[in-house]
Amino acid sequence: MTVEKKTDYGNITVSADAVASLVGGVITECYGVVGMASKQVLRDGWAELLKKENYQKGVVVKRTDNGLTIDLYIVVSFGVKISEVAQEAQKKVKYVLEKSLSQEIESVNIFVQGVHVIA
Amino acid sequence: MDKINGKILKEMLESGCNNLQNRQNEINALNVFPVPDGDTGTNMSLTYANGIAEVHKSGSEQLSVVAKVFSRGLLMGARGNSGVILSQIFRGFAQSVADTDQIDTKQFAAAMMNGAKLAYKAVMRPVEGTILTVVRESAEYAEIYVGSQGINSINDYMDLLCKEAKASLDRTPELLPVLKEARVVDSGGSGLVTILDGFRAYLMGSPILPESEEERAAAAKTKAVGYCTEFILHLSETGSHLYKEEKMRSSLEKIGENITLIQDGDLVKVRMNTLMPGEVLNQGQRYGEFDDVSVSNLSAGPEKPSILEGSPAAEKQEEKEFGIITVAAGDGLRQLFKDYRADVVVSGGQTMNPSTEDFVSAIAKVNARHIFILPNNSNIIMAANQAAQVTEGKDIHVLPTTSIPQGLCACISFNPEEDTDSNLAGMQEAIDHVKTGQVTYAIKDTVVDGREIHQGDYMGLYGKEISLTDPDKVEATCRLIKEMCDEDTEIITLIQGSDATPEETQKVQKYIEENFEVDVDVKDGGQPVYSFIIGVE
Repeated sequence: MTVEKKTDYGNITVSADAVASLVGGVITECYGVVGMASKQVLRDGWAELLKKENYQKGVVVKRTDNGLTIDLYIVVSFGVKISEVAQEAQKKVKYVLEKSLSQEIESVNIFVQGVHVIA
Repeated sequence: MDKINGKILKEMLESGCNNLQNRQNEINALNVFPVPDGDTGTNMSLTYANGIAEVHKSGSEQLSVVAKVFSRGLLMGARGNSGVILSQIFRGFAQSVADTDQIDTKQFAAAMMNGAKLAYKAVMRPVEGTILTVVRESAEYAEIYVGSQGINSINDYMDLLCKEAKASLDRTPELLPVLKEARVVDSGGSGLVTILDGFRAYLMGSPILPESEEERAAAAKTKAVGYCTEFILHLSETGSHLYKEEKMRSSLEKIGENITLIQDGDLVKVRMNTLMPGEVLNQGQRYGEFDDVSVSNLSAGPEKPSILEGSPAAEKQEEKEFGIITVAAGDGLRQLFKDYRADVVVSGGQTMNPSTEDFVSAIAKVNARHIFILPNNSNIIMAANQAAQVTEGKDIHVLPTTSIPQGLCACISFNPEEDTDSNLAGMQEAIDHVKTGQVTYAIKDTVVDGREIHQGDYMGLYGKEISLTDPDKVEATCRLIKEMCDEDTEIITLIQGSDATPEETQKVQKYIEENFEVDVDVKDGGQPVYSFIIGVE
């Protein structure tokens, strides 16, 4: 879905892909997050890291009465406190999106699809 | 010094801990990235203190064990981004020194380097100009220098490390524009420099000690002296008339600290740390007979399990229908919530977020079938929700209150006679009905959303937005109130913070009474950070 905003001069429409790229850019900068994963778990239950072009596969943007809801599918690094990493990621995504889209974000739901173990 | 062993490492880590705790407020003030919520110093300090506590608990002085236990303590207690990164740095450090009893300078340098490397591995696109940059640049520089110059002394190495870390920290605004805009250096990086400075001070022979009273109390938790004294007292008939909890507490405060005092019918449970256990018992005996007494020396090994837990008195309490858990900082606010029937007030608020664990233990304390949690801050709702999820066997509802006035209104509208659903609806309605304003001061010059704010200015926050700034506290408060009121306004609640005086409160109250036809309710909250909290209904 797209994010729309009306101004005195006309409409601003931000496409879902654009939002996905934005969120993807933000989330991959978050500490402890190694990347984004697809929302569909693959057949053998193995979460693959998404490439930059495919970030929208791991982001779902929905509109509710209280603002936008964002579902994010990510892979985190092994050996970090996952609860804390996810919470910080929520905080940062909400902060950056509210700042850059001027839209109220109702919730950011994080789905940890995998843990990346470094050899 | 050429080599360090486990004991030295342990004491060095402690010195770093103290330095970090002493300066956490300065670090908080620098926090603008990734989200400017001013809690980096607190988060790092709590994370680090958890690591130290684990080291103390293990009691080991073997280098590999100290490093490992410390790193695990950091991991389990990690708070915030900076805490998580810190845990990774020391995880790398501990990996590198596993199976060794002492390490020389070269190994130390390699261990720091490994910490920096591991910290980088946990993120896909590292942001430069943060704690990551500081640890990498300083560890690289010092390791290369040690290798090429053949430095053997740990002290020299630490000098180099600190110097480069400081230089790297000073460069962070060049790498991260948001720091430059706010005219600060990175807060997490600054925390790391503070820790390293603590290490260096220890190696120079002058370890950093905890500073203020507050910090002494925190340190006392990890390194207590005196006697842990506890007893259960059966109040005699005359004793139960004479006994006043406040009086008892104030007389106990004169002779010890960490006092737990619970009365349940004619049973009183006391637990405290003191240098004079005999005196504590004398105080108790004035009111009745002892049921159970235990005195243990705090400096002699690990604490024994408390005799108070699982005591018959605890089981005697009947399960209630409803319980309320809320979050507040400041003695006045805590008391206020208690007056409004809150069962447990978890200590916390802005810049001091309680963890999920804090909520879980609060839930365990409340003996009720249905529990309402009022987090009173948007940053805390998450932890409350998590606690609700992990707790089994109790019906827990988290009401997403984002401010103190919302929490108070929800408490007031709570009715123990009603059922859960109508209470939830009623409390939610009260929350939606109240508008929140907060007055706080700017700790540094900064620019937020294009608005320039000067150090020492008072900011009026309406909801989450900074709606005005003013050099005068009372003026800022009055202007904010004016903005919040409209013709439907009926009640204004004014909660005085720890840095506001009664005279200032009176001035504001007078302003309200002269300008609006509303009821004013003034409370002394004693909360930190906010000079005034205003609720408008």
